[in-house]
Amino acid sequence: MTDLTPRTALGATAARNETIGAYLIEENTELGLASVAIPAETIPPVLFGLTLPKPGHLTLEIDGKFAIWTAPNQWLFATDGDAHQDCAALVKSKIAMAYITEQTDAWVAFKVSSQTSGQINTLLERLVNLPETATDTGKATRTNIHHMSVFVLRPTSTQVTFLGPRTQAGSLWHVLETTLRQQRANSGALS
Amino acid sequence: MLIPHPLLGLRDAQEFTYLGDATLLNRPDPQSETADAAFHDYVYLRDNPAGVHRELWFHDAGDRSWLVVTRDTTTHEILGAELARDVKLGITA
Repeated sequence: MTDLTPRTALGATAARNETIGAYLIEENTELGLASVAIPAETIPPVLFGLTLPKPGHLTLEIDGKFAIWTAPNQWLFATDGDAHQDCAALVKSKIAMAYITEQTDAWVAFKVSSQTSGQINTLLERLVNLPETATDTGKATRTNIHHMSVFVLRPTSTQVTFLGPRTQAGSLWHVLETTLRQQRANSGALS
Repeated sequence: MLIPHPLLGLRDAQEFTYLGDATLLNRPDPQSETADAAFHDYVYLRDNPAGVHRELWFHDAGDRSWLVVTRDTTTHEILGAELARDVKLGITA
């Protein structure tokens, strides 16, 4: 039997992480994803105890599961630590009236964490062209970063996760890495 | 330029793609007897007003919704934005 070794989106055998200044970037290779769309004018279902969020928001995590609003009547359901599972089948087992598509290997997730919320806000100021209210704690939104379409998730004040297209994993990592290095260099120059 | 997305608030125009005149929502009935003339007008003829204009924008790098944006072509002032779906269904003006 062929002995295959799974590779991450960045081409390695293990998830990448790097500390730059006060920030830690971590690749999350264990995030299972499925998109959920419901017919217009139907009531959003409760999924694994999650009330599907309103525009621009994400839910709190329950047992590693959370949901992100992506479009009218459409959400991205995520289950952390379960990338090897069939995420779409998991969701389908709970909702009948919905259009569900597996999204697990379509996206890469890079989590940036820091000591203070101010540090995350400073990073977002450089990365996204959005008002601060759009990336407050509990918010999740899609926008452009260096011409890439990326979801910006802010589950807690000291953490932000970027969901980018898997095919652009290297470019997205590069953006985060170079921005943080530049930020570190600037703060060194100022102090 | 900022577009006031009805669900997500002010968003940079860079997140959007412009399609054109919002009259594109009013597609003629292909079964009607005057379909040829109606489709000629629908496909080729546009008003080009100096002033208030209703136009379709796609939130490409956002929630992927189509908006009807009302814009003043002489000042580039954005006067409002609605979901194109709501406009088509007659939910808003």
